Amino acid sequence: MNAEFKLFNISKSYGQREVLNIDNLEIGGGRIYCILGPNGAGKTTLFRIMSLLTLNDTGKMHILGEEVTWQKSQVVRLRRQMAMVTQTSFMFEGSVYYNVAYGLRVRKTAAAEEKRIVNESLELLGMMDFINQQARNLSGGERQKVAIARALAVKPRVLFLDEPTSNIDPASALDIEHYIQYINKEMGTTIIMVTHNLFQARRLSEEIFFMWEGRIIEKGETQKLFDNAQDKRTRSFIKGEIVF
Amino acid sequence: MDVIWQGLKEGFLLIVAMDPELVHITLLSIQVSVSALLLAAIMGIPLGTVLALKEFPGRKTLLNITYTFMGLPPVLAGLLVFLFLSTSGPFGYFQLMFTPTAMIIAQVLLGFPIVCGLTARAVMAQPQEVFDTAATLGATRRQASWAIIRESRMGIIAALTTALGRLIAEVGAVMMVGGNIKGETRVLTTSIVLETRMGNDSSALAIGMVLLLIAFLIMLLILSLEKRTFTDERRIQIV
Ligand SMILES: Nc1ncnc2c1ncn2[C@@H]1O[C@H](COP(=O)(O)OP(=O)(O)OP(=O)(O)O)[C@@H](O)[C@H]1O
Ligand SMILES: [Mg+2]
Repeated sequence: MNAEFKLFNISKSYGQREVLNIDNLEIGGGRIYCILGPNGAGKTTLFRIMSLLTLNDTGKMHILGEEVTWQKSQVVRLRRQMAMVTQTSFMFEGSVYYNVAYGLRVRKTAAAEEKRIVNESLELLGMMDFINQQARNLSGGERQKVAIARALAVKPRVLFLDEPTSNIDPASALDIEHYIQYINKEMGTTIIMVTHNLFQARRLSEEIFFMWEGRIIEKGETQKLFDNAQDKRTRSFIKGEIVF
Repeated sequence: MDVIWQGLKEGFLLIVAMDPELVHITLLSIQVSVSALLLAAIMGIPLGTVLALKEFPGRKTLLNITYTFMGLPPVLAGLLVFLFLSTSGPFGYFQLMFTPTAMIIAQVLLGFPIVCGLTARAVMAQPQEVFDTAATLGATRRQASWAIIRESRMGIIAALTTALGRLIAEVGAVMMVGGNIKGETRVLTTSIVLETRMGNDSSALAIGMVLLLIAFLIMLLILSLEKRTFTDERRIQIV
């Protein structure tokens, strides 16, 4: 089977500082993957490169079966099969409805269909009551839920979630976890997520990538990695010995 | 103090009486400045956006030139247009000198840098997240650029009101290329100059009142445009 993502020698520097350096990364697809690592490890940068938001300095990528050439039409074609809930859950000026409908409007979805999907997505996240509210007036957790609904509305093949429950209360977070599992299992969506919640990583993911100073220093099946991490840094991170 | 009283009274009477000459002058003022504003907006908003978003050699220089021209003295704009349109100038053939068209051209020269420069600033003030969010939701570059413009609309409307304020109030350019010809190119500001020169201070003041009233009404119109797009006005609360 062809992997959804294959990265070779991907690196990225800001000024003199190299913040990402991936020799070889393969993400097969179909599962829930977690990326773990301390602040500044390069998790968001890796997400941005994989979702074609940031240009890599060196290396090659195969994404969803295509070698990335950064040709304009290819970029849009690939991006339209992916969606991302960013770390900040940025909301456009306008209503919750407008925000969730955005991805459908750029795809020129018919109005009735748009309405149906927006309602359905908000319903799933329990945010229907907020549909006509100003999105920017929502609380942090409410914004994250709308951002998730917004990403789901476009029915992506790959969904990137950058700390999607960081501001969400424990009960809602569990709901969202169940929902993440549901779209993974029922809709076959590949989920790649960053989380600082180790319990969440353990509950949700089947594979884990552990990042440290821009590199992936350990990867493997979740259970194995938690029970028997090879790298000392991974072990102490998992045990919570590293304090940030 | 008497002059001011007299002026206010006269101004009020002028407005109430709808003096035909004053009406004509007022309409021409609006026609010239609003046409110039529209033309400045049609060119300035897209160009400002391009300057803000597109990376190309000379972009910084162009931006700096635009900012500099935001301070273009009206008489200098008038002089430039004069040089081009006068019978000996390159466009003398069209005989545009001392027509409202010439006045509009001169005012476009004044308004365009303001709309363009302030639009560029408003667009550049947007956070990277606007593009990121649009792009991750599948927007093309053009669609994402629209999203950025949409987020900048408050700043763009501010650019339009600023430009209009300058155009409706300026006298140097319209005087130079219009010539303040009665019934043809006389506008509110040039009338004020004329009345002042003739010693009719209270009349001058009266026309000034009309000018302020018109400015207020047009601003209200532009601001209502903003209201329509902002269903729920957000502002920083300072407590
Ligand atoms: N646009 C940028 N310009 C300069 N430095 C950047 C930029 N983006 C990221 N960095 C730097 O790259 C490093 C990796 O950032 P990144 O956002 O990928 O970290 P992260 O693993 O997502 O961290 P966190 O857990 O805090 O979200 C950081 O040290 C950051 O300061
Ligand atoms: Mg991050």
